[in-house]
Amino acid sequence: MKRFVTSFAAAGLTLAAGYGAASADEIKIGVLYPTSGGGAIYGGPAMQGHDLAVEEINAAGGANGVKVVTVARDSKLNPAAAAAAAKELITKEGVNVLIGGLASSVGLAISEVARQEKVIYIATIPKSIKITREKLHPYVFRTASNTDFEGDALAQMVKRVDGKKICDVQLDYAYGHDLADGFIKALPSHAPDAEVVLTLRPKLGATDFNAYVTQIMGSGCDTVVSGLWGNHFVNLAKQGAPFGLFNQVTYISGGEIASHEIAGKMGADYPDNVVSNTYELWYHSPTEAHKKFQARLAKKAGTEETAMWPMLAYNGVMFYRAAVEKAGGTDAEKVIEALRGLTIETPVGPLTINAEDHQANTGQFWGPMKKQAGRKYRMMDPVTYIPPPGE
Amino acid sequence: MVMPRGTAIVVVLVLAGLLLVPVLGSNYLVDLSTEILIYMLFALSLNVLIGYSGNVSFGHAAYFAIGGYTCAILLTTYEWPLLLAFPAAVLLSGLAAAFVGYFCVKLTDIYFAMLTLAFAMFVWAVAFKWRDMTGGDDGFVGVTVPALIDGRVPYFYFTLVVVSISIALLWVICHSAFGRTLVAVRENRTRAGFVGVNTRAMRHVAFVVAGTFAGIAGALLAMYNHGMYVESAFWTESAQVLIMTLLGGMYSFFGPAMGAALLYLLNVFTIQYTEYWPTVQGVILLIILLFVPEGVVGLGQKIRQQLAKAD
Amino acid sequence: MSMLTNPTIVFLQFMNSISLGMNLFIIAAGLTLIFGVLRVINFAHGVFFMFGAYVCYSVVSRMAETAGAFWLGVLAAGAALAVIAFIIERGLLHYLYDKEHLMQLLFTFAIVLIMGDLAKMIWGTDQYSVPKPEGLKGAVDFSFGADLAMPLLYPAYPLMLCVLGPVVAIGMWLVLSKTRWGRVIRAATQDREMLAALGMNVPLVYTAVFVAGSALAGIGGALAAPRVAVSPGMDVTIIVECFIIVIIGGLGSLWGSFLGALILGFVNSFGIMIFPNWELVLSYVLMLLVLLWRPWGLFGQPEADGH
Repeated sequence: MKRFVTSFAAAGLTLAAGYGAASADEIKIGVLYPTSGGGAIYGGPAMQGHDLAVEEINAAGGANGVKVVTVARDSKLNPAAAAAAAKELITKEGVNVLIGGLASSVGLAISEVARQEKVIYIATIPKSIKITREKLHPYVFRTASNTDFEGDALAQMVKRVDGKKICDVQLDYAYGHDLADGFIKALPSHAPDAEVVLTLRPKLGATDFNAYVTQIMGSGCDTVVSGLWGNHFVNLAKQGAPFGLFNQVTYISGGEIASHEIAGKMGADYPDNVVSNTYELWYHSPTEAHKKFQARLAKKAGTEETAMWPMLAYNGVMFYRAAVEKAGGTDAEKVIEALRGLTIETPVGPLTINAEDHQANTGQFWGPMKKQAGRKYRMMDPVTYIPPPGE
Repeated sequence: MVMPRGTAIVVVLVLAGLLLVPVLGSNYLVDLSTEILIYMLFALSLNVLIGYSGNVSFGHAAYFAIGGYTCAILLTTYEWPLLLAFPAAVLLSGLAAAFVGYFCVKLTDIYFAMLTLAFAMFVWAVAFKWRDMTGGDDGFVGVTVPALIDGRVPYFYFTLVVVSISIALLWVICHSAFGRTLVAVRENRTRAGFVGVNTRAMRHVAFVVAGTFAGIAGALLAMYNHGMYVESAFWTESAQVLIMTLLGGMYSFFGPAMGAALLYLLNVFTIQYTEYWPTVQGVILLIILLFVPEGVVGLGQKIRQQLAKAD
Repeated sequence: MSMLTNPTIVFLQFMNSISLGMNLFIIAAGLTLIFGVLRVINFAHGVFFMFGAYVCYSVVSRMAETAGAFWLGVLAAGAALAVIAFIIERGLLHYLYDKEHLMQLLFTFAIVLIMGDLAKMIWGTDQYSVPKPEGLKGAVDFSFGADLAMPLLYPAYPLMLCVLGPVVAIGMWLVLSKTRWGRVIRAATQDREMLAALGMNVPLVYTAVFVAGSALAGIGGALAAPRVAVSPGMDVTIIVECFIIVIIGGLGSLWGSFLGALILGFVNSFGIMIFPNWELVLSYVLMLLVLLWRPWGLFGQPEADGH
């Protein structure tokens, strides 16, 4: 045992030497998305967008003339693991900035590390309102939407479909509760005569929704307002459709279930009467910049029908590039000043980070999902851009 | 009670090496050492149950999480001083273990394991649902750490001191008459019963000891991360610490500590080099299982025997 | 709560309980079989389930509109998992039988890690949708012409599961109680040393049971595929549910698992109406209560004193 321990200790000591911080001739971005287990559905495409942004920046001569490199870590959808990885990225790899995150808890955990280590963190996907409210600090920024914006948009959709009796169905975890809060807050101003008749909170990761479908149909509501994302929606839809759920109600949902990765993969199983949102649609180019972005992404992904997540990751990197160029370097305090109030052109139009709460004014596309001639899947039609409230 | 001289020398050397880490090592090495020390204590605490009393817990993360959340909440929400919050957290972990243990020690083997799992998932669910108190699945972020130890190097030394004292206490407990009786209980429950040992009470005490020290580890992690998260109470965390213990070798006192260090380093390094880190870990686990079944400590002993023969 | 007094809803929730329970039973049956004979707690059962769903998707997507494609997918899933299980058992697990039980647990955990990655390499990280088979896409009308406030439709696919579950249970029971192989397997759950003493080929029994149990996990995955998204991570939820069922029912007991699965089905349907905010913890509380009341499970045998 002695020999073993000494060799072990020796191996440990070699770790002590030789970890330099980032050199002046490159900018290191530490990126954290989940790439294993269930989170890989989102982390994989997000990494594509991230890599695309870095390739474009370097092809154009780098950020502020300096080459950008990426150091990626699996955030494992686990806040403690993500925090450890974020620390390692800072102390061992010497990254200049942290970008990424998916779940609210992971976003908050990385944000806490950023606060302690005084390194900038740009949250590209987490929507938790806490990140830019209760837990706001100088080093954290968000380029994703947030649950108050999304809840407000849900209420606008209720008004649009003239919903009266609402079933409020959200997942029983932070995002679900936050989104429900945002929706309930906004409902009276948009649809004063609508009332919530049933509140359901399925658990995160639930796979069987029959029992919920039965309750929704029994409550007699005409509109479901939800935020069941990804597989949760797929499971609810596949199980609820044969009951006739989507004949009885209009299903209004946040959680980006109008994105093509859901609609495309579900094909004919995607139900009727769904109104939902997405950050981006490969078939909808509001700007010339989107067409170009879409073409480059299609080439990278090997398919024209690309997912929504790459653009979120892409925008986060592009915000940082713009800030570094404005600040004339990577000094964190200067980059923070540059990020506050910064506007950049993105594939979906100009976005601005608010100087006060570090939140970008990221809106979303909303609309009903309709069958299209010659397509095996549904597409959003018509597409409406809903900007954040107050825009 | 006396530590063999060889082991004692190694312990002193390791301690001396650790004391020098902040002087010689990078910030990264200081962080890594702090994390490993915490998981070493966590794994050693579990081994009081597994290695000494022969009961496998699938829910050891519960006490880790109770210690962590209690310390975090008392320090931050109620602004208790560390000298009160930390012992209170440890005490609560011990009390929780005493309560759960009361029911669990009536069972054995897989049913014991499953009952520990059920209680642990209940703790997880409470942490998840009690959003006002624990922050729910957003986590309890922004723990107030006393200024004296709020810093990379001071916190490392604080951890080193707490973990060293804890391990020393565990060593004394496991090598006392109580520890030897536990081993007897593990080896033959029926016979230990015949000679007048109250096996159930013995196992209950082991359960409480294990839970208490897991609570210390949890409190240390909460302050280190300035946050506590529900994942720390989930069954995957219990599985992880179980693997650490088995990997190191459950029938030796220091084995689980080495297992913890090994698995933690494996986690940290494989994720740096490949997206397919689970495969790398799985393959390494398989190799250890098939060729080094006594755990890392067993491997060390084998090598030593081989070397002795060669001399 | 008023919904609990609505007979239509109560009837539908009753059906929901049974269909969910039967779906879970088909998956958990393999786990309890393997534990009963090999005494191995197979953590890899969930990942076998996931592979079954993926294999079924691959078959169905290649055969597109062909009638019977889905059922071929189910068979293919069972066969694929049988082959995988055979390789794992003969190639690796087999060498661990004389080691500590815990080592076998660690072994199955390693398999989870490796096979989870393998699925990612083969099928990527997308989620897939398996359409319901022809003839089971619609719903059956239970109102029988009566004029009801709420339609009394029950979807055909879960209805089929309500039938298939008991068929699988009775089939397994017949094999275990009426055939020579079944008697050998039952003997193995009681006393392994005796089996060897009687000159039985014990390793062969082990292999056969591991292969059969794993094939059931694969079939369970394929049968679940039309109801859920086929995607990475689907193994994690199911393994916990399977453990709960098997523990409630009593480890190694076929009818125990059957009952355990039904109870879990009822808890998930009616429990969430009575305790709407506590779905997260209902199944664990159930396991806790059963273990406190009957530590060896509903149909299990009390342990002999000592070991």
